Amino acid sequence: MSFREKSDWLSFVSLCLLGIYFAEIARGLMGGDHPGGHYYFTLFWALVVVLIAIQVVTHMVLAMRSPQDAQTPVDERERLIHLRATRPAYFVLLVGTFLTIGTMHMGFTVWQFAHCVLFFIWIAELTRYGLRLFFYRREA
Amino acid sequence: MADTPFAITNTIRKLRFEHGEMTQQALAERIGVTRQTVNAIELGKYSPSLEVAFRIALVFGTPLDVVFQYQPPPDR
Repeated sequence: MSFREKSDWLSFVSLCLLGIYFAEIARGLMGGDHPGGHYYFTLFWALVVVLIAIQVVTHMVLAMRSPQDAQTPVDERERLIHLRATRPAYFVLLVGTFLTIGTMHMGFTVWQFAHCVLFFIWIAELTRYGLRLFFYRREA
Repeated sequence: MADTPFAITNTIRKLRFEHGEMTQQALAERIGVTRQTVNAIELGKYSPSLEVAFRIALVFGTPLDVVFQYQPPPDR
């Protein structure tokens, strides 16, 4: 596995952590509560900090274990894989954006609107990294 | 990445072994790609750019058509 593929795995797995936040929101909404306030604010930023910390530490360890791989620039095949993965992910983001705009006419609050946007950004990023991993394996 | 991965074949693996059992990593370093890309090229799963193809031929000191062969698809 190349350094970049390992890096993408780390990014994909750590992004999945944000699912905890959206699951909590879904749980709150299904319980009839209006999720918001201090708990969700703290949970969100705690997960972001954990995500960043995981990314930084794991990438440092990865780079220390194989410094030559880490310094190798992105080659043409990797560039092509990244481009191919970005296109469907952008489509997901685009569809999500239009769906989110639709929520304006459904009486969503500003808080809900913002979280719709955040949710689709998250899904688009998962799509991008997921496809990159799929193409790495398929082209390996 | 080739849509018809088997249209272009290559003799890179054979040439590597003929040139002092060169490893994929060694070849990758000389042509400026990752080892995984060299592996994908050898397996026919990825068609390199012209520049990379020429670099490979230069490493082995052979003409391009000795390294890569094009099999035109059969007429339908």
